Amino acid sequence: MQILTQLIFSGIALGMIYAVIAFGYQLTFATSDTLNFGQGDALMLGALVGLTLVGLGVNYWLMIPLVCLFGAFQGAVVERIGVRPAIKIKSEFGWIMSTIALGIIFKNVAENVWGRDDLKFPSPLPESPLHFLGANVLPMEILVVVGAVLMMLAVEFFNRKTIYGKAVVATFNDRDAAKLMGINTGLVITFSYALSSLTAAFAGVLIAPLTLTGATMGAVLGLKAFAVAIIGGLTSGMGIIVGGVILGIAETTTGFYLSTGYKDVPGLVLLLIVLAVRPAGLFGKTAIKKV
Amino acid sequence: MKRRHLLLAIAGVAALLLFPAGVSNPYYIHLLETIMIYAILLFGLDIVVGYTGQVSLGHAGLFGVGAYTAGVLVMKFAAPLWITLPAAVLVTAGFGALLALPALRVSGPYLAMVTLAFGTIIQILINEMTFLTEGPLGIKLQKPSLFGQQLDERDYFWLVAVLLVLALIVVHRILRSHLGRAFEALRGSPVASDCMGVSVYRYKVYAFVISAGFAGLAGSLYAYSEQYISPNSYNFELTVLFLLAVIMGGRKSRIGSLVGATIIVLLPKLLDDIEMFRYVSVALAALVLVTAVVGIQKGRASLKQMAIPVVGSLALAGLSFWLKTMTDWRLSIFGVIMLFVVYYLQDGIVGFVRNALNLQRPKAQVQDLALAGGDAVSTAAAGASGEFLEASGVLMQFGGLKALNDVDLSIQRGTIHGLIGPNGSGKSTMMNVLTGIYVPTAGTIAFAGRSLVGRTSSDIALSGIARTFQNVQLFGEMTALQNVQVGLHHTFASNLFDVAVQTPRYLRESKAATQRALGLLQFVGLDELAFEEARNLPYGKQRLLEIARALALDPQLLLLDEPAAGLTAPDIKELINIIRKIREHGVTVILIEHHMDVVMSICDTVSVLDFGQKIAEGVPAKVQADEKVIEAYLGGQAA
Repeated sequence: MQILTQLIFSGIALGMIYAVIAFGYQLTFATSDTLNFGQGDALMLGALVGLTLVGLGVNYWLMIPLVCLFGAFQGAVVERIGVRPAIKIKSEFGWIMSTIALGIIFKNVAENVWGRDDLKFPSPLPESPLHFLGANVLPMEILVVVGAVLMMLAVEFFNRKTIYGKAVVATFNDRDAAKLMGINTGLVITFSYALSSLTAAFAGVLIAPLTLTGATMGAVLGLKAFAVAIIGGLTSGMGIIVGGVILGIAETTTGFYLSTGYKDVPGLVLLLIVLAVRPAGLFGKTAIKKV
Repeated sequence: MKRRHLLLAIAGVAALLLFPAGVSNPYYIHLLETIMIYAILLFGLDIVVGYTGQVSLGHAGLFGVGAYTAGVLVMKFAAPLWITLPAAVLVTAGFGALLALPALRVSGPYLAMVTLAFGTIIQILINEMTFLTEGPLGIKLQKPSLFGQQLDERDYFWLVAVLLVLALIVVHRILRSHLGRAFEALRGSPVASDCMGVSVYRYKVYAFVISAGFAGLAGSLYAYSEQYISPNSYNFELTVLFLLAVIMGGRKSRIGSLVGATIIVLLPKLLDDIEMFRYVSVALAALVLVTAVVGIQKGRASLKQMAIPVVGSLALAGLSFWLKTMTDWRLSIFGVIMLFVVYYLQDGIVGFVRNALNLQRPKAQVQDLALAGGDAVSTAAAGASGEFLEASGVLMQFGGLKALNDVDLSIQRGTIHGLIGPNGSGKSTMMNVLTGIYVPTAGTIAFAGRSLVGRTSSDIALSGIARTFQNVQLFGEMTALQNVQVGLHHTFASNLFDVAVQTPRYLRESKAATQRALGLLQFVGLDELAFEEARNLPYGKQRLLEIARALALDPQLLLLDEPAAGLTAPDIKELINIIRKIREHGVTVILIEHHMDVVMSICDTVSVLDFGQKIAEGVPAKVQADEKVIEAYLGGQAA
């Protein structure tokens, strides 16, 4: 029982990371109906840049905003190079392929800059576990949960309460109408990509102290976060948190009871099942396609 | 023209078969062998990517399934070649079907993610199921023996070459057949495919299964070729390489697949050898430059269009002299090439060359086909006149909006029934409900005694309801003739086997379909434009083509959604004649139209909708004088 509680706690922390990355998918999907297939690589770059900054002697807490800035910049680059030309020529194939291509480039550059081996990310908090409900909880895990929730709340607040957020929401509802109302929708889309990569980079530095950091850390995380985004529904904020936590717990328990080699399987299988049965996600609304 | 192609093909095959005789270095033989194996996979991948227009990131996984099927069969049962190859094809095709199941409901980015997840799962399973696959250790196997003879490197090369040629022929035949047209139609317009009786779901699965079969064949050949297989070969990088090969070589082209395979096999070797890479990149830049100059001279391309590929290839050449070693930057170079291809070389190398040299896409050979005597429009089965389509109490609700509110509609057999009303009154919604695109919230619809509610669009289409679309839904990249042939899909009973070996049954059906399609084009006056791509036709002609395509379904009931929109006055006259002739064949017509002169001159009965409700019905003259109708169109007096 104690082990199970333990697994659930780690699962929740992991799940919140998935939720944050999935949140990034939602942001770009909301404004432009596109997704960044290199989202996982944005997370990886964030973690590695954070590691370098910490290595240079920058304080962990000071490093976070810097990494966020870097993430925003990286997202904007992805949008300008990979997504905008594809939106212009209305090519779905185009943006899928170009964000994949950019993801590969980022990963390869990271391999050349930081090397192929996984690196240890120093933990900013004490590594001795706290005891809670009979299970051990790392302070870092609590930070992950709190950080993830704060991040999502901040973006939601921005979207709902500020005039810039209204522009984002308007673009989501009807891109052409928003454009005609004088909103620079191109800029809004760039902004959403910046925000999306920012959250991914932030997730990267949150999770890095709990796992190892390396060029290959992003790919599977990105894919599983997509599973979470689908399970939760691409338009539901509550959905991704629930979806993330479900997946996180499924994963830690599979890893413990079955084999760590199989730990990625439940998420992927869940993705396949949800898409086969209910493509709009468990929390999303089914939209009727107009002919 | 055709003979020249044949000679070229024979020369190519001969050169391929003679290659090991001339070159004795096993390294080069193995390299060419790998290219051929990849090409077999790419033929299959092109079906999914090029024809149905879906992104598959799962083909490396399928390739691995094929390789491991052969590897495991050899390791556990010492199975001979004639068992392992077919087994690999079948098992992988099965996995393809499994992959297509979640893909049934989704497309585009979702499908890409599904296939990526699938590929990842395969890799994990190969790694973890050590009892079957030996896990990370991998499996060693020998070159196979055939007819009691142990094949050496050179014999095996010939085996692969023969299979490549066979695969090429089979793929080519499939894609030229009604199956290939169905795949292409999915990409052009899924809705229209369904309404032509070509079930999008079913053919998407077929495409994946056939594609997976080829991946399985390629995988098993690869296992023998390398004589060692391990899980890490079938990773994300490989799947991206395959996609790159398809789009870079050129979609919808077998030559493109061959070119693509050559590039992805040779490119990594090139990058290992910086000297060589420098020569090749310079040669490439020169080639692109020459093509561009020729293209501009022939007036096929503008300076601006050509500038980017030229500058790009020059930059690549420059980069090769700048970097000391390329191997570590291999993936980045692939990524850059991919970006370049996606935006500037959308038609791939084959398309680019074809464009620059002003070559046409090879056209299906249809000469010497005399038009079938008689009429191409089939006569609808005669039946007792009377109620034919009976809709009652149809309610279609979108959220709070009632697009159709308790509408009754009864259509008499053999009549032209007009459906009019102001914009947004629910006419097109009615069409969509009748053809199964929308499932009505409430109400019943019976057609020829059977309920339509809840049946799929393709099922309804096959039971005799054809339609055209308000916003034209043609298969843009297909010719006018092919568009009509998609409508004739239901006349084919041939299966994959018939197509692959071109049985008499398939040849007969194919010839009949071509003749009928030409006849139908003549019926609407488009026979001159049969080989023009649908997207290049003027708007008015596109509408006529939609009618021809709908008639190909041999419908009992034809739904025309604003057929006269965008037509010139003489064209409208022609259209009225066509609709009259359609009725003479016993086909019942429901006509939505805003041109009142059209409606009033040919309709037997007219129903008027306003805000989702039927406000009037009767003979045209009576409806025209109806107070409520006038009010709906012109607005009532302010109360």
